[in-house]
Amino acid sequence: MNVTPLARRPLSCLKTSLLRQARQQKMFSRSLATEVQAAAAAATSKTPSQGPDQNFFANTYKTDRLVDKKTKSVRSAFALYPPPLAAAGKPLSPPSTTNPVAALHDLQIKKLDPTGARTALFARTREAAKVGDILLVTHRRGGEPFAGVCLSIRRAGIDTAVLLRNHIGKVGVEMWFKIYNRNVAGIEIVKRRLKRARRARLTYMRKPKHDMGSVAEFVSAWRKSRRVFQTKGAKGKAAGQGGQGGKKRK
Amino acid sequence: MLNCIDNSGAAIVECAMVIGQKRHASIGDRIVVVVQKQRDAGAAGMAAASGAKVKRGDIRHAVVVRTKQKVTRRDGSCIKFDDNACVLINKSGDPIGSRINGVVGMELRKKKWSRILSMAPSQA
Repeated sequence: MNVTPLARRPLSCLKTSLLRQARQQKMFSRSLATEVQAAAAAATSKTPSQGPDQNFFANTYKTDRLVDKKTKSVRSAFALYPPPLAAAGKPLSPPSTTNPVAALHDLQIKKLDPTGARTALFARTREAAKVGDILLVTHRRGGEPFAGVCLSIRRAGIDTAVLLRNHIGKVGVEMWFKIYNRNVAGIEIVKRRLKRARRARLTYMRKPKHDMGSVAEFVSAWRKSRRVFQTKGAKGKAAGQGGQGGKKRK
Repeated sequence: MLNCIDNSGAAIVECAMVIGQKRHASIGDRIVVVVQKQRDAGAAGMAAASGAKVKRGDIRHAVVVRTKQKVTRRDGSCIKFDDNACVLINKSGDPIGSRINGVVGMELRKKKWSRILSMAPSQA
């Protein structure tokens, strides 16, 4: 190629010009046409271990495949990965359409609330507790039962919780209770709101203007009414239980 | 600024620092406070007579008993009070006042403030 300029050049540069020529030739040998082969050789070195998948590739990636004439093995310019296999060697089934989180919540709720009473108490039904109702939560692990106005119900599967607000000695106290908690021995409706609340969260009840104050009198009145039923004997007790409606004891 | 809910003579105190940690204080944590306002309703005369235990400008230790910030318990329940309140204690950890009027958080039990808990009229 460079023969003519080479003749004119001084002798000392002969070495460099020769080297340049050699490099150019090497460049040609590395060009695209051969690169495919080089990559394919690398790919075929992996394929023998894959065994039955070879056919699969041959069928699916027809555009990319290169069949070696001597060895009859499939070559490709691209890296080929086998499809994911399950434990039994079969291809994986498509993912299920059911929501696994919801399924887990159902499972846990079934475990923590076998009777379904807790779920029913905060379900979206007429009989269920709603925001604005006065609820009484009894703790299994000591402490006084906490009563308060239900400000909001956070429905979140197993994490469903209620926010109760009360005044204890002039100080407002708010507590969140998880309804499926085992430590929560029972949740009872002390008093229902007269009219349905038109908000989902009654945060305005924190303001002094709307604050309900202490619910102690409602609770004591409710206790008194229950005691009346209890002292009257089993028949009266049953009537009392029925009359309260939506009450839950466990 | 916190309310002081014991009968030590302080009504409102200011938190100067939290003792033993670099974070904010929560229920049951010890803090250093400066007494900003004395309880003077009736206590003015009493303060002169019996000598209120603390005066305005005093620097004291205190235990936080209520917080506006929600405090999460181990079982997932949360408690939140409408104000921040504390009880004054001396350096050795005994309460300065002899009575507490107001609800205190149950977290005090976990942090070994049983004397304050037993003085409190109610716990939540």
